[in-house]
Amino acid sequence: MPAITAVAGVAALAAALVWTPLLVIAANRLVPGVPVTGWATLGPALVAILACAAFACALFAGSPGRRAGAVALFLILAAAGLFAWGLGHGAAVRMEGRPPAARAGLGAGVWLAALWFATALGLATRRIRLAGLGAGVAGLLVLALVLAGRAGAFDALSLAVEYAARRETVQAALWEHLALAGGGLGLAIPAVAVLSLWRRGQDLVGIVIGGVQVVPAVALLGALVAFTGGLLRAVPALRDLGVSALGPAPAIVGIAAYLLLPLWRGLAAALRAPDSASLDAAKALGLTRAQILLRLRLPLGAPQLVGALRVATVQALGLATLGALIGAGGLGRIVFDGMAQFAPDLILLGAIPIVAVSLMAERGLSALEGSLRARRPA
Amino acid sequence: MSARTLVPVAVTGLVLAAMSHPAVATRIASALGDAPRRALDVDRLLALAMQHIALAGTGFALVAILGLGLGILATRRTGARLRPAIDALAAGAQAVPPVVTVALALPILGFGGPPTLLALVGYGVMPTLRGTAGALEAVSPEARAAAEAMGMTRLQILIGVELPLAAPEIVEGLRTALVLAVATAAVGALAGASTFGTPIVAGLQNQNTVPMLQGAAATAALAFLGDAALLGLAAALRINRP
Repeated sequence: MPAITAVAGVAALAAALVWTPLLVIAANRLVPGVPVTGWATLGPALVAILACAAFACALFAGSPGRRAGAVALFLILAAAGLFAWGLGHGAAVRMEGRPPAARAGLGAGVWLAALWFATALGLATRRIRLAGLGAGVAGLLVLALVLAGRAGAFDALSLAVEYAARRETVQAALWEHLALAGGGLGLAIPAVAVLSLWRRGQDLVGIVIGGVQVVPAVALLGALVAFTGGLLRAVPALRDLGVSALGPAPAIVGIAAYLLLPLWRGLAAALRAPDSASLDAAKALGLTRAQILLRLRLPLGAPQLVGALRVATVQALGLATLGALIGAGGLGRIVFDGMAQFAPDLILLGAIPIVAVSLMAERGLSALEGSLRARRPA
Repeated sequence: MSARTLVPVAVTGLVLAAMSHPAVATRIASALGDAPRRALDVDRLLALAMQHIALAGTGFALVAILGLGLGILATRRTGARLRPAIDALAAGAQAVPPVVTVALALPILGFGGPPTLLALVGYGVMPTLRGTAGALEAVSPEARAAAEAMGMTRLQILIGVELPLAAPEIVEGLRTALVLAVATAAVGALAGASTFGTPIVAGLQNQNTVPMLQGAAATAALAFLGDAALLGLAAALRINRP
């Protein structure tokens, strides 16, 4: 890394911490608050954080080696830990003696600093070149934040206050969200398997499920609600099964509709994975078509299948957010409640788990995909 | 991209547009057994269409410029070092669904168009960027070597050889981005942007099927017609899939 980039990196963090507000103190959660900058929030800890960051950047610029990377990693982790503690402590000091309705919201500086720490940690873990280190560090960081939160380090921050007030709601919404996404996947996977069996109609299948992708999700969900309503009027017996026009049923169908294309493409690519020589050899050995599918096509196509599953899962988790629009619940409900009340902390309370779960699914499945690819003989 | 793909897409778009007409939508709703309620008239639909097109169009233009520019930059010799950063940023942006971006930007940017535009750009850049970079990387080294041997400069190679060869893949990325732009503009209704999403959201809240169907059909019609327009443009420019 050139020295000028390192200097710019330190300057960016300094600017984020010194000029942009870290906290926004308000009399309640609806009125606009008074911004509090980094120095006022963190105090002397600010100097220590910037010193650690500067030292880490100097190491990045000075040496490309693994040992420098490891030292930089520790420095950045120390700075991030100090920052998190300082933020919670600063908020607690400001909130002392105020009425319970008062709120210490997170300012833009927190997000800028978080972005900076994430980038720096990514850079440091890449220098150390150890497989799985990035995921390990991220997991450890999340665990540390959760434990610190449990211990009450962030109790004064408004996000923690909102969470404490709605712990059950958020947890229930998270499970609903996962159920919606899982339901969509559970519906789409067998559907794709059946569609792939219809060999002659693959062109038509491709056109139809490609066309579904063009329909905007909001529009499809709206239409599904209307048609589910019509269906329920025609077949009232469905109501006894717990189906309703507004609820999880149309949402799961809508989510599944969008997952068909990536899954169908992935399955087609997986089935094409073995080369013709292997297929000929399998036929010469007298394997039946079912045996070829189970022993040859699916194992060799496993990376493609997992890749398709990764794309579909991330999409499902995102689409499940819109499910709240048609009364299916999930984390989207908290987000939409926050939007309706113009309460940023409530929006964050719904948005953070959505993004975290999506990122975890993406990282986890792409690691699995990578290891399957590596195992496959070239 | 022949008439084989263009015609069905355009016809689907036109059928959906017809479905959004008040008379047709009312009839569909009554066929579904809904009590006839007030439909959106044609003037209101056209006004919403103009606003939807303006918002989605602005976002799409930004996405196209950013996606193409970053895609070209990422595949240049000087930009190769930025590649991991660009990829990481794009992957991160993809994990935040458009609805969530709209929601997160709402307290900062306020109600209306700006949060929607941000979500549109944040989510849409990725497919264009990936498509452009992937397509440029797939250009055969022989073609590039031949162009160099002919004494073409790097800019000439980019404009005369690489971009034309990569064009079909780039168009695919732009199609995805356009569809995303139309969809995200509809989601923007949640943040108070006035688009075809507005009657859908209002209809869902008031259990009023007719405007909900009209909005849904109109949004889908816009997506299909926009897709058809891009396909037509590609055909006119003689960009054909190899």
